[in-house]
Amino acid sequence: MNLTTLTFLVFCFITILIYFVIPKKFQWVVLLISSIIFLFYDNLHISTVIQALLILIPSYIIGIQIEKNSNTKKGKIFLIAGTLIILAQLFYLKYTNLFLATFNHIFNLFKIDYQFDFVYRNSLIGISYYSLIMISYLVDIYRGTCNAQKNIFKCALFMSYFPILTSGPFIRYGSVGKELYEGHKFNYDRMVRGLVRILWGVFKILVISQRLGMFVDSVYGNLELFNFIFTFAAMIAFTLQLYTNFSGSIDVIMGISEIIGIKLPENFTLPFFSKTVTELWRNWHITLGAWLKDYIFYPLLKSDFMQKLNKKCQKRFGKKVGKKIPMYLSMLIMWIIIGAWHGGAYTFIIGSGILQFVYMFLEDTLGQISDKINKKLGIRKDVFSYKLYQVIRTFLLFSFAMIFFRASSLTNAFEIIKNIFIINLGTLMNKDALLNMITNMGLDIYDFAILFVSLIILFIMQLLARKRDVREKLLEQNIIFRWVILYILIFTIIIFGCYGAGYDATAFIYRQF
Amino acid sequence: MEREEIFERLNGVFRDVFDDDSIVVTETTTAKDIEDWDSLEHINLVVAVEQEFGIKFNMGEVTTMKNVGDMVDIIISRIS
Repeated sequence: MNLTTLTFLVFCFITILIYFVIPKKFQWVVLLISSIIFLFYDNLHISTVIQALLILIPSYIIGIQIEKNSNTKKGKIFLIAGTLIILAQLFYLKYTNLFLATFNHIFNLFKIDYQFDFVYRNSLIGISYYSLIMISYLVDIYRGTCNAQKNIFKCALFMSYFPILTSGPFIRYGSVGKELYEGHKFNYDRMVRGLVRILWGVFKILVISQRLGMFVDSVYGNLELFNFIFTFAAMIAFTLQLYTNFSGSIDVIMGISEIIGIKLPENFTLPFFSKTVTELWRNWHITLGAWLKDYIFYPLLKSDFMQKLNKKCQKRFGKKVGKKIPMYLSMLIMWIIIGAWHGGAYTFIIGSGILQFVYMFLEDTLGQISDKINKKLGIRKDVFSYKLYQVIRTFLLFSFAMIFFRASSLTNAFEIIKNIFIINLGTLMNKDALLNMITNMGLDIYDFAILFVSLIILFIMQLLARKRDVREKLLEQNIIFRWVILYILIFTIIIFGCYGAGYDATAFIYRQF
Repeated sequence: MEREEIFERLNGVFRDVFDDDSIVVTETTTAKDIEDWDSLEHINLVVAVEQEFGIKFNMGEVTTMKNVGDMVDIIISRIS
């Protein structure tokens, strides 16, 4: 069930209606039933039911055992066992083909005449999300920052709360768990606020993202037809497509939760105004970054091994350089995991993993050198033009990495890069070639105009959002103005939303993870 | 050990880790107040504090302490 389909709309409406009609005490049961329906709606099969139970039941039992054995070795053993059970399933369902592909490459390298066939795993929607959510649940109990849930059905709701299964955000039991179970009264203001956010999200997805997708698919799908400018534009368009799709989905999810009365953590805060890639990732998929920091990066960096390495490196290379080495090593490991989380293929490990690490590493190491050069040359860093340069540079670096993220294979990614860097000015002079590219780019003049205006609206909204909460400002206005804006948004989505044939208007990019 | 004395010693640790002699930490100092205090440097700081006071923070504390005041509370609970 996709987030922008009529089915999902009706599904949410019925859920919310029943939620506010029945006594508070039973409201969480409505959420649980809806979550179960959502979880199995597209994929009800004995194997998917077993998958869900194989995460829920061990997590539930082990959570209680960890709490009972807190601060003991037994507690730690339970934690390790629980984490391994969850990870084993995640790896089996998501990464089998990655391992098989790796073996095939190795066999090729050593000229061994054997190749594994790829396998199809029927995995449940949201596995990448609920697996990590349940690992954090167990670790938090072990760390003493939350208590174990004693009711298995409530535990099931925490694992499967339906809005977050497709695109996140990652929730923590300590902060969101209680809100899921306690009842909420219907609140008109909250409903309007939620509705505005849902509509804004749907606008981003259907009006902007889907249209950008048509262009990207056309160019990346027929690289031989397009020159460097179109391929470069497709690279930029994909980053915007990904952002509007993903952050739009999050808006829908947050809006639904807001209407219900559950406050979820924010997942985006204007990433494309960032001056460095490091800063961009602090504003992009925030809850994934926070998850990895708390459960992988910090424990890894604080581990005995890394601390010993730290001491050795500081002795050898001095304090300043020495302490950076274990830091970079931990970062590299974390970024490989981030890449792999996005998908079981090398394109993801490079695009959303290793390349991002390389950027951050270079920012950190070359940053000081470039500061010195700027000082010598008298280049000011605190002026608008320099900041603009930094923002554009960051956006382009990120977009370049996203070529790998989007590509169907590494070979495909290099083809796209090659297309961008083969600058053939002749194709710009050739009228027929240009016309051919324009007619094949997947957008007509009408689409192009809508896209142009929508992107300007998005940009203005983002500029405004830097200073104030645009939604709050809108809701402060008189009721007539408020509803006029809301109706404009609704009709814009209905009229200008992309529902045409030939592309799936609701295929969420992040859903596959 | 008095709270004030702990702050005094913490000032030394912070100045050493972040290489900035002008740092003065208070109850409400957070990572936002010190330029170099980001998630990359957080563990270096935590380990330096551990060494200074001869204590160990657990991971729950490392990930949930919100300001220097929280850090001092944990230090006091460990050394008293």
